[in-house]
Amino acid sequence: MDNNRYEITDSVESFTQLLKRVRRAQEKFSHYSQEEVDRIFKAAATAANRARIPLAKMAVEETGMGVVEDKIMKNHYASEYIYNKYRDEKTCGVIYENKEYGFTQVAEPIGLIGAVIPTTNPTSTAIFKSLICLKTRNGIIISPHPRAKASTIEAAKIVLEAAVAAGAPEDIIGWIDVPSLELTQMLMRESDTILATGGPGMVHAAYSSGKPALGVGAGNTPAIIDETADILLAVNSIIHSKTFDNGMICASEQSVIVNEKIYDKVKNEFAARGCYFLSDSELTKVRKTILINGSLNAKIVGQRAATIAELAGVKVPEGTKILIGEVSRVDISEPFAHEKLSPVLAMYKATDIEDAMKKAERLIADGGFGHTSSIYLNVVTEQEKIERFRERMKTCRILINTPSSQGGIGDMYNFMLRPSLTLGCGSWGGNSVSENVGIKHLLNIKSVAERRNNMLWFKAPEKVYLKRGSTPVAVEELKEMGKKRCFIVTDEFLYKNGFTKPVEDKLEELGIAHTAFFDVQPDPTLASAEAGAKQMLSFEPDVIIAIGGGSAMDAAKIMWVLYEHPDADFEDMAMRFADIRKRIYKFPVMGQKAYFVCIPTSAGTGSEATPFAVITDQNTGNKYPLADYELMPDMAIVDADFQMTAPRGLTCASGIDVVSHDLEALVSTMATDYTDSLALQSLKMVFDYLPRAYELGAKDPEAREKMANAATMAGMAFANAFLGISHSLAHKLGAFHHLPHGICNALVLEEVIRYNASEVPGKMGTFPQYDHPMAQHKYAMAADVLGLGGRTDEEKVKRLIKAVADLKAKIDIKPTIKAYIPDEKVFLETLDEMSEKAFDDQCTGANPRYPLISDLKQIYLNAYYGKTFVEEAKPSAKDLKARAAKAAKAAKAPAKKAAAVKAPAKKAAAVKAAPKKAAAKKTSASSSAKKQGRKTK
Amino acid sequence: MEFNNVIAKRTHKKIYRDGDKCIKMFDESFSKADILNEALNLAKVESISIRTPIVLEVSVIDGRWAIVTDFIEGETMLSVFEKDPSKIGEYMDKFVDLQIEVHNEKCPMLNNLSDKMERKISKTDFDATTRYDLHTRLAGMERKDQVCHGDFNPGNVIIQPNGEMAVIDWSHATQGNAAADVARTFLLFSLRSTEEIAELYLDTYCRKTDTPKQYIQAWTPIVAASQSVKAIEDEREFLKKWVNVVDYV
Repeated sequence: MDNNRYEITDSVESFTQLLKRVRRAQEKFSHYSQEEVDRIFKAAATAANRARIPLAKMAVEETGMGVVEDKIMKNHYASEYIYNKYRDEKTCGVIYENKEYGFTQVAEPIGLIGAVIPTTNPTSTAIFKSLICLKTRNGIIISPHPRAKASTIEAAKIVLEAAVAAGAPEDIIGWIDVPSLELTQMLMRESDTILATGGPGMVHAAYSSGKPALGVGAGNTPAIIDETADILLAVNSIIHSKTFDNGMICASEQSVIVNEKIYDKVKNEFAARGCYFLSDSELTKVRKTILINGSLNAKIVGQRAATIAELAGVKVPEGTKILIGEVSRVDISEPFAHEKLSPVLAMYKATDIEDAMKKAERLIADGGFGHTSSIYLNVVTEQEKIERFRERMKTCRILINTPSSQGGIGDMYNFMLRPSLTLGCGSWGGNSVSENVGIKHLLNIKSVAERRNNMLWFKAPEKVYLKRGSTPVAVEELKEMGKKRCFIVTDEFLYKNGFTKPVEDKLEELGIAHTAFFDVQPDPTLASAEAGAKQMLSFEPDVIIAIGGGSAMDAAKIMWVLYEHPDADFEDMAMRFADIRKRIYKFPVMGQKAYFVCIPTSAGTGSEATPFAVITDQNTGNKYPLADYELMPDMAIVDADFQMTAPRGLTCASGIDVVSHDLEALVSTMATDYTDSLALQSLKMVFDYLPRAYELGAKDPEAREKMANAATMAGMAFANAFLGISHSLAHKLGAFHHLPHGICNALVLEEVIRYNASEVPGKMGTFPQYDHPMAQHKYAMAADVLGLGGRTDEEKVKRLIKAVADLKAKIDIKPTIKAYIPDEKVFLETLDEMSEKAFDDQCTGANPRYPLISDLKQIYLNAYYGKTFVEEAKPSAKDLKARAAKAAKAAKAPAKKAAAVKAPAKKAAAVKAAPKKAAAKKTSASSSAKKQGRKTK
Repeated sequence: MEFNNVIAKRTHKKIYRDGDKCIKMFDESFSKADILNEALNLAKVESISIRTPIVLEVSVIDGRWAIVTDFIEGETMLSVFEKDPSKIGEYMDKFVDLQIEVHNEKCPMLNNLSDKMERKISKTDFDATTRYDLHTRLAGMERKDQVCHGDFNPGNVIIQPNGEMAVIDWSHATQGNAAADVARTFLLFSLRSTEEIAELYLDTYCRKTDTPKQYIQAWTPIVAASQSVKAIEDEREFLKKWVNVVDYV
């Protein structure tokens, strides 16, 4: 060997030099292309393959362990199988790309790999680790075991020279010539990842070095031979595996557990194939030889069976394949229960499969956690046993009818198991990987993710029928659809005042059986929904018609759920979600029993066109807001004839609710062009017709009809764009203080606009398409549609706020919460809880501004006292300009004339900034406001 | 000082009693550092709750170093053992209880056990491969800070007239994993008495502390190697056998 070509690494100083050389080479190597790398990988694998025989001879000669011919096979495997597995795999640059989803993965080398090589497989492991490092553009420094250093280094050298000849940087593979624990530990500290094959001590040292480690540990493979096994195959496979390289593969069988029914047959087969069964006295001798104080005697590792017998003072034929000890204890007090790394095998008798698995579990727990287990049985008839076996064995490789030495390393007896000479043992074995280690463990994968928008949608009832007097025509269609039994849900007032009559008459005429449930209260309870559902279950309708306001329609939706899915759990259904696409709860499929129709009798809720419903648990007072497109009505009949006589209070409260639906859907982070058009048009209609409908009622059918349509359009808008904090705040205000929902919204509406319209919000709502604060502009669009005038968006928003206030005044809504809850104390007592609950309301998620709980509290307070929201002072682009101007002035200070010329411009800037300054001054006036970061004026 | 009453003679030291004092006199060949370290160890372990000799003086007498401590009245457990071998089980219980008491102590000033073992392994005559394996084994051991006597055997336990027990000879004391201390005691029993007594000791210790046997046994190659540094010829073969095991590779 030409040792002169390489510097000798035998001390801390020379090791430091080696580190530098390999690091430098790796830096170069990291820029190589896939083509170059693949060429190098092939050349290196070819050279290692060619050297398989001399390397095997050298390893056996040096270590005095193992079988030359088997080591040749291992070298062959480490070069050919590994090359074949990874020849076409991408390891450089882009390894995955999906343009549609905007997702790319880029492979980068890790850097320097520290490799600890064991004495049992010195050359094959060195070949394996060097090759996978070359394929991944990593540098590698090998720390051989002193017992096998010459052969380990020779293998590394062969791989290195072939790689360099094929274009790899010199020094891409390095090694320690005179191994010591000090240098090994230094290598572990200095490398970027450690590939540590070795005993628990080495593996532990690797993990405690503070560097990521792919360490692997001891095995203690049990092989169960089930009564259904092919005995010939089982016994000969085990012999084949156990004798391979004199039993030095860590996946090798250490014990065989045989069903008592076939025990003698198995024993005979082992004996017939050259295995020696130890007598009791011989067993005692061998026990003392293989184990010393619980540790494996170094002298027996990788020796022939006859040699081990001789050491123990037992005479066996020279050609004995395996020494078998028939033993019964599976705990570690039995030396045969340990890992033996030699052709010595324990044999147990099991009463049945359960007993066999128990024994196997114990053997694994004591010596081979996470490594390998195997079983022989009839795979055609015994799938159930395989299932039990794989469930119970805490091993990362579970082999069926397979010699475990050759089977565990992969790709020989199963072609999906990755070929490797480093077998991960998972957390059970104290490892970071549970697979057969391969190139993927030596790459850093960068994921490059481009921004993408969520797919959005527009969902509405399948059928929306409109125009006054259209109800009977629409109901006729139910007949055409073949509906036979109709269940009407309404409230007592509507029922007694004949609101359901036109529908009932038509159903009668069509010969559709029908019944009605009219015990729905405002804020419908679960109890009343359950009562309705009970009635439904006995009536068995195929169509449900809800006639009424939000309460009746919501109650009907819940009855529908209970009717179709009597076991539905409202707690689950009402679970808050952050993204409706990703919600944990999967809503049950609706419509399998009944078709769902809504006829609204007030213009407001929009429930006829939304997938939402709220129900109250009468016992706990909990409100369950349900939201899922399964709850979308199938048909909405918007017939203003049903709304003509609505009382003024209802017209007012539900009418202003439409405004809040429109404005919230408009500025929602999920708003689309489709929802915007509906919301804007609906908003305009409410501003034009609500005062008329309020004033004239049934005398103005045009206004009634416009309001009816506006409400349903708003429903369609927020069914898809969702709502915002106006509703979050209104829900809690209504729940705590029993005010009508529409009024609650009205009371916070202007404050919410003011709060949301900020161009510098504290936090934005999170949704891909919401890429900058847009609410101000969206509100300005509303102002434009309403024809309010104004030059800037800011001005338009101010006008919109005023228009909303004016509209409220026209329909006699009082300006502050205080007007509705005069006792300040009652309001303030609930304030904190309301604020926190409002924050957690389902509607908060789509708000364009992500609110702080303290913000919500402030909005409540302002709405109570009639104050307005003021932003905390923030830096602005104007500050930056002013500073730049100042700097420019300073720079030109010597040239006084130039500065004088600039002066007027600066003055103008100062004037512009003035209003802001004034605001800032006000802010600083109140110290408590300073703490909160904002104040009221 | 009186030197008439010799209590014990060792290869390189003599121990005298002078009234309520005990004088340990060392040969010229003995390392000064080791003598001072022994005195320092004694001073350090005075803080633990178990009765130990109190250092009164370290001096040079007739050109020889000597450590003067108070004298602890009583009989060694070894001689009690030997007088009545039938009560071995009973005494083993007491012996192990006392050792566990020592292990429950903390003495942050003591030297570190693993450092000491590392030095000892480097000093052995074993070949580089064996030393490498031993170093690796040691590096993988769990680190602890229990007080380890280092030579805990019945000869170093004194049963005082009132029945209370004292522990003497702290020259090998360190802080570290008590399993190493137990492995050493196990080794001492194996070398100086029978295999049965050694096994009895180990079983008693493991039962009382609910420690898996292999947790102790993992240390035996290391303590055997460190013992071999100063071992006499006929012990060497035995120790070598204990050392020549593999972890897995």
